[in-house]
Amino acid sequence: MENNIKLNFESYLNEKNFTSSQKEIKEINFDNFIKNGFPNRRIEDWKFSDLKKIITNNFENIDFSKKEAQLNIDENLIGDLEHNKITFINGAISNIDFSYENEDKIIVEQNLNLENELSKNTLLNLNTAFVSNYTKILVKKGYQFKKPLVLFNYLSHDLSNSGLNTRLDINLEDEASLNIINISNENLNNNFLNFRQKINIGKNSILKNYSLDINETSNIKYSFKDINLEKNSHLEYFILSKGSKFAKHDINCSLNDEYGSVVINGIIDLNDKKHHEIKTIINHNEENCKSYQLIKSVLNDGAKGVYQGKIYVNSKAQKTDGYQLSRALLLSNEVEFNAKPELEIYADDVKCSHGSTSGNIDENSIFYLMSRGLSYAQSKKLLTNGFLNEVIEKITNEDVKLLVKKLTGITE
Amino acid sequence: MLSIESLKAKIEEKEILKGLNLNINPGEVHAIMGPNGSGKSTLSNILSGKKGYEVNGKVTFEGENLLELETEERAHKGIFLAFQYPLEIPGVNTNTFLKTSINAIKKARGEKELDAIEFLKLIKQKSAELKFDEKILSRQLNVGFSGGEKKKNEILQMSILNPKLSILDETDSGLDIDALRIVSEGVNSLRNKENSFLIITHYQRLLDYIKPDFVHVLKNGQIIKSGDYELAKELEKVGYEDFN
Amino acid sequence: MDNRQKEIDNLKDYKYGFSTDIENTRAPKGLNEDVIKFISNIKKEPQWMLDFRLKAFERFKQLKEPDWQKPKYPKIDYQDLYYYSAPKSMDDKPKSLDELDPKLLETYKKLGIPLQEQARLNGIAVDAVFDSVSVATTFKEELTKQGIIFCSMSEAIQKHSDLVKKYLGTVIPTTDHFFATLNSAVFTDGSFVYIPEGVKCPMELSTYFRINASETGQFERTLIIADKGSYVSYLEGCTAPMRDENQLHAANVELIALDDAEIKYSTVQNWYPGDKDGKGGIYNFVTKRGLCKGKNSKISWTQVETGSAITWKYPSCILKGDNSVGEFYSIAITNNHQKADTGTKMIHLGKNTKSKIISKGISAGNSDMMYRGLVDISSKADNSRNFTQCDSLLMGNKCGAHTIPYIKNKNLKSNIEHEATTSKISDEQLYYCNQRGLNQEEAVSLIVNGFCKEVLQQLPMEFAVEAQKLVGISLEGSVG
Repeated sequence: MENNIKLNFESYLNEKNFTSSQKEIKEINFDNFIKNGFPNRRIEDWKFSDLKKIITNNFENIDFSKKEAQLNIDENLIGDLEHNKITFINGAISNIDFSYENEDKIIVEQNLNLENELSKNTLLNLNTAFVSNYTKILVKKGYQFKKPLVLFNYLSHDLSNSGLNTRLDINLEDEASLNIINISNENLNNNFLNFRQKINIGKNSILKNYSLDINETSNIKYSFKDINLEKNSHLEYFILSKGSKFAKHDINCSLNDEYGSVVINGIIDLNDKKHHEIKTIINHNEENCKSYQLIKSVLNDGAKGVYQGKIYVNSKAQKTDGYQLSRALLLSNEVEFNAKPELEIYADDVKCSHGSTSGNIDENSIFYLMSRGLSYAQSKKLLTNGFLNEVIEKITNEDVKLLVKKLTGITE
Repeated sequence: MLSIESLKAKIEEKEILKGLNLNINPGEVHAIMGPNGSGKSTLSNILSGKKGYEVNGKVTFEGENLLELETEERAHKGIFLAFQYPLEIPGVNTNTFLKTSINAIKKARGEKELDAIEFLKLIKQKSAELKFDEKILSRQLNVGFSGGEKKKNEILQMSILNPKLSILDETDSGLDIDALRIVSEGVNSLRNKENSFLIITHYQRLLDYIKPDFVHVLKNGQIIKSGDYELAKELEKVGYEDFN
Repeated sequence: MDNRQKEIDNLKDYKYGFSTDIENTRAPKGLNEDVIKFISNIKKEPQWMLDFRLKAFERFKQLKEPDWQKPKYPKIDYQDLYYYSAPKSMDDKPKSLDELDPKLLETYKKLGIPLQEQARLNGIAVDAVFDSVSVATTFKEELTKQGIIFCSMSEAIQKHSDLVKKYLGTVIPTTDHFFATLNSAVFTDGSFVYIPEGVKCPMELSTYFRINASETGQFERTLIIADKGSYVSYLEGCTAPMRDENQLHAANVELIALDDAEIKYSTVQNWYPGDKDGKGGIYNFVTKRGLCKGKNSKISWTQVETGSAITWKYPSCILKGDNSVGEFYSIAITNNHQKADTGTKMIHLGKNTKSKIISKGISAGNSDMMYRGLVDISSKADNSRNFTQCDSLLMGNKCGAHTIPYIKNKNLKSNIEHEATTSKISDEQLYYCNQRGLNQEEAVSLIVNGFCKEVLQQLPMEFAVEAQKLVGISLEGSVG
């Protein structure tokens, strides 16, 4: 596999006319990736999800060469929710529609230059080496989006056993607000997807980000988000992790000024030997910030769920309020749930706590429901839905909440 | 016993007490009444030495400059504050706490410390007097206590520590009539020629049970009127708004 | 001055910091086969024991020193240490306590551990380990009557060879991690306990460890076997003199509980923590592991860790027998420049196994405290339960508290519950205590003892009192 990736990279560099400095950045990152390869479980961050093994088990070869494609698009993904959209096909923008907004207040730039960096995360090295449609969305100061922005990700039908690396930066200037829905239609085979996003939320700004992974696919997906919050800004982040064969959501949030707040709510709902992980790091770097995380997992049929969450509190960050709760229901044999809820605290005047539970569904509750006439399966379904619904109810955008309920079939 | 002369106090640049004068002699019961925000709790906190206030003026207790003493030194001298919101201290048994406290005070006064048996005897006697369920004393300090239990626990502590000056900071708030009676009995049983009380309250009803010798009205950080028990009744009728 | 204050002042400084001027027999400096043969030879060990050591040493040479732990330390030169140091007077083992070097008896007296017949601790049998060797075991005869074996490891290797051979290395194999394997190669002495079937050990058994010699690593080995239906409570205490250098302590402790047996293992660890600037102190890199081998067996670890420059240990339970129970109760306190990376592992293999973890970490000064733990419920461990409560208390903002639990559940019939909090002593709580006449340090000690209560309650009475005092003293001066 390694040789093929090298060949892909050489021809990719030759095809494109990169400036010498851009070429150099890509080469350095690529060399680092080749040197270290896909992360395995000996890397602490990948302890519960051995990507190297997953890749070896799923691919004989991954083709990283560029795939341009045209596609007829099924826009029924999100029903009748009024929205703006950016459509990506195989990682490249094919359509931008801001028809609900004042377009003067939004800038979309494409094919930007990469900054010179060398992350320790080899998947980011790989991303930097191969990314070619680096896009940036900027929301200008004081502008509040009227309708959500949907980021559609489509893959063309001919794409299989391919690797795709994309990068998107989102920048909210001060006093701005934006709701984003990330949704994919990848009903396709065996691709390795490596999405990177960098998000900056300016002073007094609000970002709500809803990531929905619903469609059943055999894709292996890694999504890395690096989010910086300025003074008194707020992030609401919702993850529905369900469709892909393997998915890892890697979220890094830094509260860089006072009174920032982060809410992360996640659902891992798996069957059929899928393996998903949510990994978060919340860096409390300044005083009076809050973070709240609620992750619930439901595991069926040999599935594996992982939550690794870390709250870091700098010695300056007094009056921090940090909380994380992870709960998992194990519903069949051969399932596995692993958690690593971590607190690292260097300030004394803080309130930080975490809780984690994993286990089976409460038999007393099932008994209670069955005594009222429900079947075992109905009771289980009802309790599972109730368990997950608590997370969905935390979505503050009512339209999106309805959408998620519709997509998942989960109601109260 | 206690003399307060032109006491001023600020917290975070906000002036709360603006020149307060008060004299309490041994055996006297004084009540301070006032609306919310008049500075009642600030006064009790300053007398017991809570940090965070910028204090000016002169406060002496038995001739000694009180403001120079640490909180625990004031407790050793015989000042007791019944907290408006008694703190919960997880894992610490109420009995252990009481014993540590009484012996710290006895030690500071050069008296013989109580051994376990003497202490238990004292506790038994005092809880009986106050109709206080002893079982509560084996629970963690104030953890899971109801509001009434917390207040009764404060009075029990007061009764055991036998202070010279007891300050009751809105001890009556949130109490039902039975608890109020128990609390009052506790105070009345401690009344004698030496012990003095400063009762801080918003309402007159506690004063029906504990007849004060003097009543003071605190408004905007100053005592605007002093009198006897009749003043409390008048205040109840007129209300703080119109009282001048 | 009154008594309590005197007591506090007396305890304030590390009172075990004296060293005893005793002539030592030492192995030549360094680590090689010859040194291992020297140790084995001086202890008149059988061939299988030497083979065990050499096998471990072969393995050790291939192992790399781990570096994933949070507290980093300067590289240890393993060739620059003495691996065997014994008081000369022990060369020909004394037959009775009367023949012991008076200086040794004096040392233990200073530590509050009287070994002489007339002054023995009430109801506690003590095995005293001085540097590399066990110097005295008390109450031996009384225990022998019940068939209980409580002696030094060296003696056990000679007199109870079959038991040692059968169980040694079965919980911590010679192929284990770096420090455990090093211990298997060079361990010098330690305690051996065997409780026969159906016997409830009538008294607490206790080992008192003392590092005296300089430049000496202490590698003791303890093996406790509780046969079917038996019970034993075992206490371990440790101190060391104040030295500017860091000293390595890498012990192995193996516990084996057969059907229906219970072992309760308590530690009050007060090794020298180094001075206020972090100079000197013990590196306490200990491997403690218990195997609940039989059904319905139980192993309970309780530890109060206040000493050492670096504490790095995870007393663990392997719950192999069905219905077996593992418990871990821990208080770890770090002050000044101390560092700790400690916690436990609960490995659930058998059905209906239960484990409970209560960890209380307190960090003050410039110190750093880490709880690291693993709960692993395997797919065969039906109906198993774990409950974990992990609380940290920070005093000041120059110290750190770090909690990393690894939680793995592969069984749908089993439940894991984990809770963790981080907090501080609130000013309001201190004020309330002050108002009731307690000074700052009394108030802190009271509140911290309350915070630790669930763990302190697990200790046998004699230890609980000492531990409570230690908790208060370790934090003196940390709240301004």
